[in-house]
Amino acid sequence: MSFELISPNTLRDALDLLDVDDPSIRPFSGGTALRLMMKSGVFSPSKLVVLRGIPDLSGIEISDDGSLTIGALSTLAEVETSALVARQVPVLAGALKHLSNRRVRNVARIGGAIAHGDPHMDLPPLLSALNAEVIVESRNGRRHIAVEDLVIGYYETLLEPDELIVALRIPAQDDWHSAYRKVTARSADDWPALGVATSISHEGKEIRDIRLVVGAATERPTRLDISEGVLRSEGVAGLPRAVEAAMESVEVMDDSHGSATWKKALLGVELRRSVEEILGRNA
Amino acid sequence: MGDKTMTTTEVGRSLPRLEARQKVTGRANYTHNLKLPGMVHAKVFRSTVPHGKILSIDTAEAASYPGVAAVVTGKDILDVVPEPYYGPAFHDQPILALNKVRYVGEPVAVVLADDPRIAAEAVELIDAVYEELPAVYDETEAMTSDAVVHDELKPAGTFPDLKHLNGRKDTNIALDFHLKQGHADAAFASAAHVFAHSFQTQQTMHTPMEPIISLAEPSGDRLIIHTASQSPSFVRSEVARLLGWSENRVQVKVGHLGGGFGAKLYIKLEALVAALALLCRRPVRLSLSMEEQFYTISKHASTFHIKSAVDKDGRITARKCEVLWNGGAYADIGPRVTQKSGFTATGPYDIAAADIDSYALYTNRPPAGALRGFGIPQLVWAYESHTDLIARELGMDPVEFRRRNILKDGRPHVTGTVMKDAAIDAVLETLAERMRWSEPFDRGEGTVKRGRGVAIGFKACVSPTTSVATVTVAADGSVTLHHATVDMGQGSDTAMAQIVAEVLGVRTEEIRVVDPDTDVTPYDMATLGSRSTFHMGNAVRKAAEHARTQLDDMAKSLGMAETAAGRVKEVFRRTYGMQAGTVVGVGTYIPEYVSPNEDGLSDNVTPFWMIGGTGVEVEVDTETGRTKLLKMVNAADLGTALNPRIVETQLSGAAIMQLGFTVSEEMILDGGQVTNASLADYKIPGIKDIPPVIENCIVDAHTETGPFGAKGVGESATFGVSPAVAEAIQDACGVRLTRLPMTAEAIFHALHGDKK
Repeated sequence: MSFELISPNTLRDALDLLDVDDPSIRPFSGGTALRLMMKSGVFSPSKLVVLRGIPDLSGIEISDDGSLTIGALSTLAEVETSALVARQVPVLAGALKHLSNRRVRNVARIGGAIAHGDPHMDLPPLLSALNAEVIVESRNGRRHIAVEDLVIGYYETLLEPDELIVALRIPAQDDWHSAYRKVTARSADDWPALGVATSISHEGKEIRDIRLVVGAATERPTRLDISEGVLRSEGVAGLPRAVEAAMESVEVMDDSHGSATWKKALLGVELRRSVEEILGRNA
Repeated sequence: MGDKTMTTTEVGRSLPRLEARQKVTGRANYTHNLKLPGMVHAKVFRSTVPHGKILSIDTAEAASYPGVAAVVTGKDILDVVPEPYYGPAFHDQPILALNKVRYVGEPVAVVLADDPRIAAEAVELIDAVYEELPAVYDETEAMTSDAVVHDELKPAGTFPDLKHLNGRKDTNIALDFHLKQGHADAAFASAAHVFAHSFQTQQTMHTPMEPIISLAEPSGDRLIIHTASQSPSFVRSEVARLLGWSENRVQVKVGHLGGGFGAKLYIKLEALVAALALLCRRPVRLSLSMEEQFYTISKHASTFHIKSAVDKDGRITARKCEVLWNGGAYADIGPRVTQKSGFTATGPYDIAAADIDSYALYTNRPPAGALRGFGIPQLVWAYESHTDLIARELGMDPVEFRRRNILKDGRPHVTGTVMKDAAIDAVLETLAERMRWSEPFDRGEGTVKRGRGVAIGFKACVSPTTSVATVTVAADGSVTLHHATVDMGQGSDTAMAQIVAEVLGVRTEEIRVVDPDTDVTPYDMATLGSRSTFHMGNAVRKAAEHARTQLDDMAKSLGMAETAAGRVKEVFRRTYGMQAGTVVGVGTYIPEYVSPNEDGLSDNVTPFWMIGGTGVEVEVDTETGRTKLLKMVNAADLGTALNPRIVETQLSGAAIMQLGFTVSEEMILDGGQVTNASLADYKIPGIKDIPPVIENCIVDAHTETGPFGAKGVGESATFGVSPAVAEAIQDACGVRLTRLPMTAEAIFHALHGDKK
């Protein structure tokens, strides 16, 4: 159970400490998720690489094209209270206010929250709907991965053990409008039992394009392709069919948060409500 | 010195808790902070099977792990405690498992090491082999099951009413309590209406924020036990009994508790650390993790079958109650819950005839004991849900139906005890008023429906029990109170000091309250069941009055005045020729009480009644089952409040705790294994889960026999919460839930019928 705790001062040093062949060496930022896994004995690290001392990995910036770049070591609270975030992606600021509790948000880092791969999280489905991407670095260089592609299974991501998320990039939302609706089953600050993220590009009630992502109730954040197709072709009139398609096509898990039967019903209700919310809000 | 006839100035004052500043600045004395020279840390190895014979325990690898001082099993304990079974009602619980294990999580062995992490690592190296035996988990199945948890019942000798159970075999029924009043069968035969329902509650946990902790320290031929305990006097006598020592060789010291709620009563870790300290001849510290608490003590799951006969005017003429209490693998205080709570199972209603059968059952679950309400919330959940269902069947307003049947002062309870100082009707009327019951109610719109409900309950106080206190006045007139009520956050130190201050005419803030220490503080039965304000309050008042009488006598014999009031320092100086001497006032209190006869009847069954009720307004999202509490009103008769502001926090705290047990908390078991034994998966209410409006009402009342008219209050606001929420849900959306917790998913399935 003993392990080594190392606190590098530069990104380069941190990346040098990671090892593509050794998953027992793990980067450690806020620790809110990893510490729980360590406490329950699910994960026993040999080495933890503490990222907190690395400068230049936090901060939130806006580019000329209106996209936001959020440093991976920004705490959730920093993102929640950022004026830039509130202006450019208000749905993210709103979702963070209801993510876990203030104590967690004050220490959890946005990079860790995306890299964790636990299905019961709010940010992966929401950032997928926002068409966000992460910038990932290793000793061998950088790559960009769409958040939507990042999580490939239950606690499984595309990240290699020697890679770090260094930043999150959220494109300008222009005429896209978004909602995130979630249900917690056991307490208000519980992990979500279901999260539905919806982004719609529309004019009045006319839907031009749409991105629908369900999380928490599924093994990984899942794009609702069929429902999107229905809404693109039929517009809001197709909402009942889109809801039905979502409930039929998505594989919902039974777990300690609730049965698949219940969560499937929740998915239908929350999907319908989020589309109605966005179109109603911006009508 | 104060005058007996003057208006109170200290009692009734809402001063903040005396220790508040110490607590918020991190200076308060908690057992967790204690470090003893040379102490070793213990870590427990626990059973992985629900019921089995221990075939072997291989400790060799753990014992040779670097840094390990010793590994101890149940057999080793026998070297220092030949009969290592403890418990307040039954001597059924071994210090470490012997021959058999009876639940998943039962302590089987212990590793001792200088470093707690080494101890934890070494525990992983222990290997036990069991021959599994059939197990029983459900209380109804336990009534008739072939799986028997204990080969033989072993009641503690201290309870005369348990003697007949001695040596009983082939049963899981630890205690059966029966009450028979009047002719229930005849009343049912002639009833205009008969209603029968069944209700269930789930197993839950106390989750005190300070987990259970004890240290034992050998000291010459004595033993000092530092422990976060609600019952230091019991710990001393029970550890002394186990060791065959006189009580004065065991010293039990308690600091502030970070919550107790019944989890820290009787023996928890104290017998184990005592035995370990004697075995290894070093101080031993054992601190449970939050997770381990789920394997230590819990709240009874229960099944309650209730049946009522009602006449054509809506009056209840008879009631039959069968209550099954799931006590888990060890009795703890369960048999007391079965009896002391069991006899109130018919509710606070005027009912002439009743049959009550109440059973304490052993199962292969973690043990259940007392949890804030001592079984009463389980009973009120059933009888008040039943009350609302009857009112619905009769087409009567639920408050009106209660009014028609309510038990008033001067009328006999089903035990035969005539009600006195029990403001049941005032609690109901306060709720009706604050809920604006007679006014129109907004029922919501679309798929979101609104509803409301009220429920009331009552509780007798465990009896007869004794409290002793001493009040010491120093020669400079300063005052020290010695008593063993444990302040676990309820504000008892402050309330007791207020009583002393009132009697002696000094400021409450100037009184020194000594932490419980059995070498110094006199006997108290325990801090439980809302008994302290009444019992210890009376003892403290008597002790203060005894001190005052002595001071007055000194003043008189000096020819100074009739009283020493305001001149205490001078009285001492003139008596002893200098600033010298001490006056010690002693107060002992035990209430009058008559044990129930073989029919469960008694004309004096409790020293006082606690009365509490709750009203709620809810909003149900009928598409998802999600339910929001919009408003909660709690009302209680607690006599005259000693400190109204602290009382209000007791009311809101109790109601919020019960709200967790009502809508979310549940220990989930799979093959006897608790699968959500952590705060990650067992969720207690957070700030966003509590209603935006909570009103707490102290009804106008006075308890003649209480100290300055006061009685207990710690549990009263738990009573009505669950049934009020169930009624409000039905009022909103038409579905009735009969099992706790009433989760969003449970409401959803009730509404939509498609069970998972």
